[in-house]
Amino acid sequence: MLHSAAAVIAPVVALVLAVGGRAAFAANADAGHEKAQVCVACHGPQGNSTNPAVPSLAGQPHQFIVTALFLFREGNRKDPQMTPIAANLSNADLNDLATYFSAQKSVPPKPMVDPERASAGKRLSEKYYCVQCHGPALLGQQHIPRLAGQQAEYLRTQLRGFKSSTRFDMDGVMTSAAQPLSDADIEVLAEYLSGLR
Amino acid sequence: MSMRISVWPSMLSGLATLTLLALAHCIAQAQPAPPAVPSPAASPAPAAPPAWQQGRSADQVSSSLHPFAPIVTGRPASELPLDKLKVPPGFKVEVWTDGVPEARSLALGDKGTLFVSNRLQSNVYAVLDRGGKREVKTVLKGLQSPNGIVFDKGTLYVAERHRIVRYDGIEDRLDNPPDSVVIVDGLDPTQQPGHFWKYLALGPDGKLYFNIGSPQNITMPTYMQAAIMRVDPKSGVVEDYARGVRMTVGFDWHPRTKQLWFAEHGRDWMSDDMPSDKLNVVKQRGEHFGFPYCHQGDTLDPEFGKNRSCSEFTPPVLKLGAHVAPLGMRFYAGNMFPAEYRNNMFIAQHGSWNRSTKQGYNVVRVVIDDKGKARSEPFLEGFLTDPKADPPMWGRPVDVLVMKDGSLLVSDDYNGVVYRVSYNKN
Repeated sequence: MLHSAAAVIAPVVALVLAVGGRAAFAANADAGHEKAQVCVACHGPQGNSTNPAVPSLAGQPHQFIVTALFLFREGNRKDPQMTPIAANLSNADLNDLATYFSAQKSVPPKPMVDPERASAGKRLSEKYYCVQCHGPALLGQQHIPRLAGQQAEYLRTQLRGFKSSTRFDMDGVMTSAAQPLSDADIEVLAEYLSGLR
Repeated sequence: MSMRISVWPSMLSGLATLTLLALAHCIAQAQPAPPAVPSPAASPAPAAPPAWQQGRSADQVSSSLHPFAPIVTGRPASELPLDKLKVPPGFKVEVWTDGVPEARSLALGDKGTLFVSNRLQSNVYAVLDRGGKREVKTVLKGLQSPNGIVFDKGTLYVAERHRIVRYDGIEDRLDNPPDSVVIVDGLDPTQQPGHFWKYLALGPDGKLYFNIGSPQNITMPTYMQAAIMRVDPKSGVVEDYARGVRMTVGFDWHPRTKQLWFAEHGRDWMSDDMPSDKLNVVKQRGEHFGFPYCHQGDTLDPEFGKNRSCSEFTPPVLKLGAHVAPLGMRFYAGNMFPAEYRNNMFIAQHGSWNRSTKQGYNVVRVVIDDKGKARSEPFLEGFLTDPKADPPMWGRPVDVLVMKDGSLLVSDDYNGVVYRVSYNKN
C-alpha cells in the first residue's frame, strides 16, 4: 500500500512544484550543475579546490561569482586560464554557474595549526578592516567574496596584486586596503583566512 | 551585449576538449608561486578603513550598513517587477532598452544615438533606435571609470577618473570609433580612493563642467578636490568654479537664468536623518558650499566645523533628504509634458544605503516658484520595495535625459536598463 501511494503522490508533487514556479529555479540549478563540470576540473569537486593556487567557488555569494566571471569575460580581470574560458559565457551561463556554486557547501583546506599565528591572523583581519566588508565571519556578502576557507596561495596572489595595483579593482577599495600590508601580514592573513570554516 | 552566444548548447561535443584544456591549465597553475617581493624599507601606509566607511564613530563600527554594487551583467526587462513602477496620472513608464550593463550617464547624439556610460566598469555604449527596436553596441572599451559623457556638434566628450577626452565624428563611426584626443589630463593626481568618478556637462559658455569629489566620506580636501571645475575644450585651460562641494554627479543650467544648479551628496555616518543631501544654485563663480565644515547649510561638522560658522557658506535651495544620493539632474524644457512641468527639474535618486530605514530610489520633480523657493515631489517611484531589506530595492535611477519628443529617459545601473516616461493628455 505504501509503495503504491508513494508512486501516486510523487508525480503529483513534481507537478505542483513545476506549477508553483519552482521549475525555473530547479532548471537553473540543474543547468548550473551541468555547466559547472568544466569548472570543477580546476576548482575541485562542487567547487572546493584542492589546488592552493586555484580559488574555491563553493559557498561564494551568487553576485560575487557573476561579477568575477563578468570581469573575466569583459577583459577587465585577466588570467591566462580564466580569460579564454569566460570569453564565451552568456549572461545566463554566469547566472546558472553562480546559482550552482553559491549553493554548494564549502569544505575548507586544513586549518592553521599554530594557535599563536591563528590569533595573529584574526587580529590582522580586524586591524586591516577585512571584516568590515567581508563580514564578521568573513563569509562575504552580495558582490564581496567569501574569504573563509579560501585557498591560501590564491589569497596571497590576490593581495599582492591589489598591493601593486595590477589586480583589476572595480571600486578601488581593495587596492587601498592592501597598501599597508607587509609581506609577513599577507602570509599570516592568507593562512588564517584559509583555515576558517 | 545581449547577443552573446553561449558555448553551452554545444557542450556535449566540446566538453571533453574543454575539460582537457582546463586540466592542462590546472597543472600549469600548480607550479610553485614565485617568492614574495620584499617590501620597500619605507614605512607602509597606515591601515585605513574603506573610503565609504571613513568617519564612522566608535559605536558605528559594527554597523551592517553598506553600499550596493550593480548586477554587472544587467537583467532582462522580462525579469523585472515593472508593475511596481508608479508615475503621476496621464504619464506612462516603460522599458526603452535593456542590455546596457551598468547604465550610468546619458547623452544624445545629433542623429539620435543614445550614448550610455559606465562608472565601475570601463565601457561607453551606443543605443540605436531601429524602428522601435533598440540595438546596443559597445563603442568604447577599456576606459577608466568613464562616468561623465556629453555630446555636442558631432563630438562625444568623456570624463574618465583622471582626464577628459573627445571623440570627433563618432556617431558616423560607431563600429570603428576615432582615437581619443585629450583635452585635460592629471585630474586624479592622488589616485583618490573614493568619489573618483566624474559627471560632465556643457555650460552655456561652451565650457565643460565637471566635479572632483571628496576622496573620503569626511576629510579635508586638497586644493583640487570637493570642487566643481570647468575646462575650455579648445584651450584645455581649467578653472575653479565652485568649492566646498562634497560630491556632485548631476548638474544643469536653468533654461532662463542660465545659473548652474547642482545636486550634492552630504556626508555619511552622522545619523539616519542627518545631514540632508542638497540642491544648490551657484549665483557667482567661486562660491563655497560648506564641505567639510558645514552640512545642509545649517549644521557644523562635529570635527571640521569647530570654530567655523555656517554663515560663511552658501546654503542649499532645497534639502532633498538624508542619504538619498541625488545623481542625474536636468531641467525640463521639452514639449510633451503638461505646461506646468516646463523649467521644472527632474532628479534621479540612487540611494539611500547609509540609513537603517531606506528612502529614495526614485526620480523626483522639483518645482521652483517665482520667489526662487523650491519644493520636490515623487515623479517615478516603486524601485524601493522593502526599506529594511538588504538590498532594499530592485532598481536604482542614475541619470535623466529629455528626448527630442519631450519624453524623459531614466537610466538604472543596477539592472542595465533605460526607462522612458511619456505623457498623453488624453
